[in-house]
Amino acid sequence: MKTFPLVIGTPDGILYEGEAERVVVRSMTGDLAILAGHSNYCTAIGMGGAHVVLPDGTRKDAACIGGMISMINGNCRVLATTWEWKEDIDQERAEKAKENARLALEKGGLSDKEYKIVQAKLQRALVRIGVSK
Amino acid sequence: MASNMKAVKTRIKSVQSTMQITKAMELVASSKLRKAKERADISRPYFRELYSTLRDIADANTDFTSIYAKASDNEKFCYVVIAGDRGLAGGYNSNLFKAVEAECKGKDYVVVPIGKKAVEYFKRRKVEILSEAFAEIADISISDCFEIASLLCKSYRQGEFGHIELFYTEFVSMLSQAPRCFSLLPLQDMERDEAENTAAVRNLILYEPSAPEVYEAIVPEYLAGLIYGGVCDSVASELAARRTAMEAATDNAEEMIEKLNLFYNRARQASITQEITEIVGGAEGL
Repeated sequence: MKTFPLVIGTPDGILYEGEAERVVVRSMTGDLAILAGHSNYCTAIGMGGAHVVLPDGTRKDAACIGGMISMINGNCRVLATTWEWKEDIDQERAEKAKENARLALEKGGLSDKEYKIVQAKLQRALVRIGVSK
Repeated sequence: MASNMKAVKTRIKSVQSTMQITKAMELVASSKLRKAKERADISRPYFRELYSTLRDIADANTDFTSIYAKASDNEKFCYVVIAGDRGLAGGYNSNLFKAVEAECKGKDYVVVPIGKKAVEYFKRRKVEILSEAFAEIADISISDCFEIASLLCKSYRQGEFGHIELFYTEFVSMLSQAPRCFSLLPLQDMERDEAENTAAVRNLILYEPSAPEVYEAIVPEYLAGLIYGGVCDSVASELAARRTAMEAATDNAEEMIEKLNLFYNRARQASITQEITEIVGGAEGL
């Protein structure tokens, strides 16, 4: 299959740079796949599982949270807030984060801002756990 | 002569203790610098990609429905100024402030200072400050950058200002750091840098679900990413500047001690010679 140049970057560095056959991420409105020859396109990334299919056909899963994906003149750039390959996810930590967030939510008495932060933490933990399983 | 010698001796001691301090600061700065440089090196590619992507989008943008994209008629500026927490870093802080001054002349503006020195500077000049919550650059993490970004976006949407610009110090190399400034918002401002390129064919970009919604989600991330990149670079620049300054100070102190030692030895020799002459003269007189 045809491939296209893909760059995956986060503030912690560039995680992938090279050809890819397909990249799938969860956008604001749902999952979307980008293939070679896609028209110029830009959207924001939500929270969820993502994967890249390499030119040799292997699939690499990852957890992807926030950011943007753009396809401009055949070059695809995924600039995410966090992008963790499946093998890099610390499942124990995610479980712990999930448990902590759950307890905090059950305990209640959070201000609006705190509630939002805890919710976001829970979401992130769930995404990570979902991907790593 | 003896009192002169004592004065020289104390002077040597004081220069020596100053040298110890500058030497220690140099060592601290260089060990911290290694880490900061790594952080800056890691975040720089992201920073570049983010900026070039947004510039591509700004270049190609024909859709000005989003408040972030269209040119603003509000002439008020907001400057995000990233300086250091401490002095003794050579011209690091003052160079940056000079750059700010040159840019802001005759404009109506507010600032978001990052770093204690920046807060002090703008307070002294009685400039309107949007938020002082980010005074310590050493503690700034990526989540703080998101906070700054959402604060900026909120104020921007409310029309408190029409342009946002970022000032930071670019880490060019260990020996050279240059203050830099670029426009963050509106995206229309970005094109200004390369007016010659506007003739290029405009590409149409598909936004999903719609351009304003995409901008709404992307812009805070984009601001946070660029501010974070600026912070990383500035921290590394500050440490590099401090290291260079302290290295020079240590060298100067060494030179001074050498000179003083020479002077001291001369004085000592002169006084000994004088004593001998006196003794010999006294013996002869007997």
